[in-house]
Amino acid sequence: MKREASITTWPKPAGAPHPVACHFCDTLHEATAVPEGTAARCKRCGVVLYQNRPASLVRTTAFSLAALILMGIVNMFPFLTMEANGIKTELSLFRAARELIREGSMTIGWCVAGFTIVAPLVMAGGMLYVCGPLLRGHAAPGARHVARWLGHAEPWNMIEVFLLGVLVSLMKLGKMADLYFGVGFWAFAALMVCMAAAVAGIDRNELWDRLEVAAE
Amino acid sequence: MTPRLPRAIDQGLANCHVCGKVTPVVAHRCPRCGAGLHLRKPASLKRTVALLLAAAALYLPANMLPVMTISEIGNVMASTILQGMVEFWRREAYPIAIVIFVASIMIPIVKIVALVWLCAAASGKVHPSPRILGRIYWFTELLGRWSMVDIFVVSILVALVQFGAYMTVAPGPGALAFAGVVVLTMFAAMSFDPRLLWDRLEILEASKTPQPTPNRE
Repeated sequence: MKREASITTWPKPAGAPHPVACHFCDTLHEATAVPEGTAARCKRCGVVLYQNRPASLVRTTAFSLAALILMGIVNMFPFLTMEANGIKTELSLFRAARELIREGSMTIGWCVAGFTIVAPLVMAGGMLYVCGPLLRGHAAPGARHVARWLGHAEPWNMIEVFLLGVLVSLMKLGKMADLYFGVGFWAFAALMVCMAAAVAGIDRNELWDRLEVAAE
Repeated sequence: MTPRLPRAIDQGLANCHVCGKVTPVVAHRCPRCGAGLHLRKPASLKRTVALLLAAAALYLPANMLPVMTISEIGNVMASTILQGMVEFWRREAYPIAIVIFVASIMIPIVKIVALVWLCAAASGKVHPSPRILGRIYWFTELLGRWSMVDIFVVSILVALVQFGAYMTVAPGPGALAFAGVVVLTMFAAMSFDPRLLWDRLEILEASKTPQPTPNRE
């Protein structure tokens, strides 16, 4: 008992038992507090049930805010400039999607826009909208719907894959022309790190528990 | 044998797939987030198999049709994903060639085969350990997105290489098929319910235990 009292954890909603079920094998557990920085694992299959992330709300709020600012920088400054035979072309996230749509590949163009612009924007904006007010114990209006959208958007956020795509393209173009990295490129690399940190910053169960407590 | 651990389904409890709250399934909607409650993902196997069939049907055109066409001073050259990889290999850019081979050619097919196998196991046609199957499932969910890299390469080249008569790159029909394979396999992995694997094990163990003298086949 004494050791449990020293564990800092997030507030639980009212009501006695807080069961958790393993999403992987459906085994029922009673949710107990775990020390910061560790995870509770399923007794049967060993999959992580939930994690107690240190300074979760602060970190997620900070990193998602940083990610939003970086997104602005990525879209304002040139990403990559290519020069061949005196002609200059520029790459930006918008252009990568727009040129595909203009060339007649509507579907792929919209997919690329969705994976590199819309999904990251929903993720970063949504996390900031939900976690920011939660820092002071409030649930923002409609936070429940936004939090639901976070889960839907997560698998479609592919900025790290796009960055690999940039590297492969560089290798392809290397001998053909002169390439210059712009501020946008470095901002994009930083954006990738911030997004990953924001997503890993808070556990889904903690986020929803806090939302439930704030709504009570 | 280890004592049997209780499952949520045995007590009519549903694990909300959106917020993770465990509530009686009779509520139909999660009281916390409002998502629909199900004991298992609805029609999981049917949906997964249907999506996999669609993905498999697109796999051949995705690899046979050119993902982009390069027009260089009047010369039009179509390039498939495989040709792009071979080109890197010939230029001795081995790491990039391997990355493309793994992300674009290997992962989609491995993912389709792995999910078919998981569906077979969940419907009781094969009986491997759920633990190993679980690792495979986790892997397919983790790696699937990286196949998108070639579509991004096409989009970057189309945006950058626009030098009028000198050289232009345009997307090819293979790109749509390829993006289709990636998106469909991602949906297939999402619609598969790994808990079905453990349900199968449960049925298997339940059928074994009551017999006092097991008849080994």
